[in-house]
Amino acid sequence: MRILLVEDDALLGDALQVGLRQSGYAVDWMKDGVTAEQALTTEPYTAVVLDLGLPRLSGLELLKHLRSRNTHKGAPSSKHTPVLILTARDTVDDRIKGLDAGADDYLVKPFDMGELTARLRALIRRASGSASPELQTEAGVTLDPAAHRVLYHDKPVELSAKEFAVLHALMLNAGKVMSRAQLEEQLYAWGEEVESNAVEVHIHHLRRKLFPELIETIRGVGYLLPRGKGA
Amino acid sequence: MLQRASLKRRLLELVLAAIALIWLGTAAFTYHDAREEFDELLDAHLAQAAALLVVQTSHELDEIETEHTAMPHKYSPRIAFQVWEGGKILRIHSSNAPSQHLAKREEGFSDSIIDNQGWRVYSSWDGSGEYLIQVAERADVREELARTIARNLLQPVLISLPLLAILLWVAVARGLHPLVKLTREVEQREPDNLAPLNAGAAPREVVPLIERLNRLFIRIAASMQRERRFTADAAHELRTPVAAIKAQAQVAQAAFSKEERMHALDNAILGCDRATHLIEQLLTLSRLDTLEGGVAEPCLLKDVASEVIASLAPVALEKGVRLELLADDEAFLRCNPELLRVLLRNLLDNSIKHTATGTSVQVKISREAGVISMSVSDDGPGIPEQELKKVSERFYRPLGTQASGSGLGLSIVKRIAEVHNASLQIGAARNGRGLRVTVLFKQQRKMAGTDGGESSMFPTQSTD
Repeated sequence: MRILLVEDDALLGDALQVGLRQSGYAVDWMKDGVTAEQALTTEPYTAVVLDLGLPRLSGLELLKHLRSRNTHKGAPSSKHTPVLILTARDTVDDRIKGLDAGADDYLVKPFDMGELTARLRALIRRASGSASPELQTEAGVTLDPAAHRVLYHDKPVELSAKEFAVLHALMLNAGKVMSRAQLEEQLYAWGEEVESNAVEVHIHHLRRKLFPELIETIRGVGYLLPRGKGA
Repeated sequence: MLQRASLKRRLLELVLAAIALIWLGTAAFTYHDAREEFDELLDAHLAQAAALLVVQTSHELDEIETEHTAMPHKYSPRIAFQVWEGGKILRIHSSNAPSQHLAKREEGFSDSIIDNQGWRVYSSWDGSGEYLIQVAERADVREELARTIARNLLQPVLISLPLLAILLWVAVARGLHPLVKLTREVEQREPDNLAPLNAGAAPREVVPLIERLNRLFIRIAASMQRERRFTADAAHELRTPVAAIKAQAQVAQAAFSKEERMHALDNAILGCDRATHLIEQLLTLSRLDTLEGGVAEPCLLKDVASEVIASLAPVALEKGVRLELLADDEAFLRCNPELLRVLLRNLLDNSIKHTATGTSVQVKISREAGVISMSVSDDGPGIPEQELKKVSERFYRPLGTQASGSGLGLSIVKRIAEVHNASLQIGAARNGRGLRVTVLFKQQRKMAGTDGGESSMFPTQSTD
């Protein structure tokens, strides 16, 4: 789960970055509209947290560019990435403008970190096409993004934030093969050191803590969390 | 409560007084004129009567036996005559005539009082000088006539004045209607309705008033607009620091490690400091917005500068920035020293914040051709040319400013400069690098007359 945070205020940006990390997200923090737009063309983000009053390119402009951009070959499709805007302007008119520009949700400053992460979870869930907050596999694994909790046959399983993130990504994309690079992108923000075999280690731990057949390795391609057999 | 004069009443009183005055004047003139005319006429009648008597006396006196004659007319008792033989023996007289002489024996008109009765007398000798004929008319006849004339002159005035007053009242009320209408229109307005008044059908005299009012409305609207925008901006500007504080506090609550918690708490405190600074700057600005005058205190700029530099030295030291002061010893200025300190503190704050560690920030106070200038230069990143115009706008923060300011510093500087009738120059410091803000104090008129005598007028203040 990799989030793009666009916020020009040093203290608020810092708090958001740390706070989102605490919730298990990898966070890239951009301080102006132009660098944020560049980041969006090169990296796949699960969601964007966007401040509106940005230098160089305003949040609204950035949002409009993002929504109108044609998906071209090779570039990750960010046209439909869920965007949550943060705004100091709280008039209905401002909110309408934000939503019309393509925002999926908005929060007025000052906001509650709990509410921010809850709304992000909802956005990500909706974007992945699932309306239920909990993700389940046929094999009896239940993942609750809000509670940051995984149950296996109704018994809680202790997972690290990164393990949780890998499992979450695989469950959201159940039935699809995810490459190692794709998983790494979900796990690490820019500038974060990626251990060479980190994904393998997390997968290994997940198999050990849950059960070995949970995740299948497609050699040379990536990993797959099979959709329930016969389902 | 003050009893206000009514315009309507005042107009009415003035017009009525004027009419009454002219009427009375005309009446007095007419009365006087009429009186003169009938005096002459009556005198002529007296003379005529005397002449007739003279003629009659010389011819028929012997045949007249009665001592006195009958009264043929209601006015007869008021007219009397005497015929004196040789001027001494009363031969004939009217029944109402007294027995003594009506007047002296000289010929001509005279006035006399006999038994408290005023008489107008005409004396005449007959041709032979044998008889003295005196014809008299009671003076009260004339008084009565005069009274009648006066009454006839004044009566219509007394009757018509109240009538006129009523008509005038209506006329004045109608004349003042546009004013009343205007008053009602202003009265019925909502306090925030500052739309211009319609001068459409207003008379010429009222139009300037409406125009002035409309101009005032425009000014008030502009100032209200400014105030509203400022309040809205201020509220929004405070949201971000408060959001940061709250987010940092919640991050601290959820922190996994002690380091993470301490980092967040430190940041929360930093956020509080920043919000406090923003509030202080906002208050300064709003106080400045309502400030009027108060810049008359003479002070030495060098003193102001060294005081501010001393107070900021610890901050500069901490950042490894040198503060330098190059000041003219004679740069006296009529100013508000408290405000100038705020101005300089803001400029120095900015420069210390943005200049690189190990560089210096320079304050220069100079006096050239009577113009006093104070500049602050730094070695920081400066401001791109295209953004220079915007820097003194409220809440503007140049891009890439890591240190988070209130965005109000230069607005405050600009406003204080305005209060001191000074202008601001913002540009690159040296070789196109850094930032220099110069405050140019225009020649102060009050000071111009004392040029050269400054030191005697303002004894050098202690510089410690």
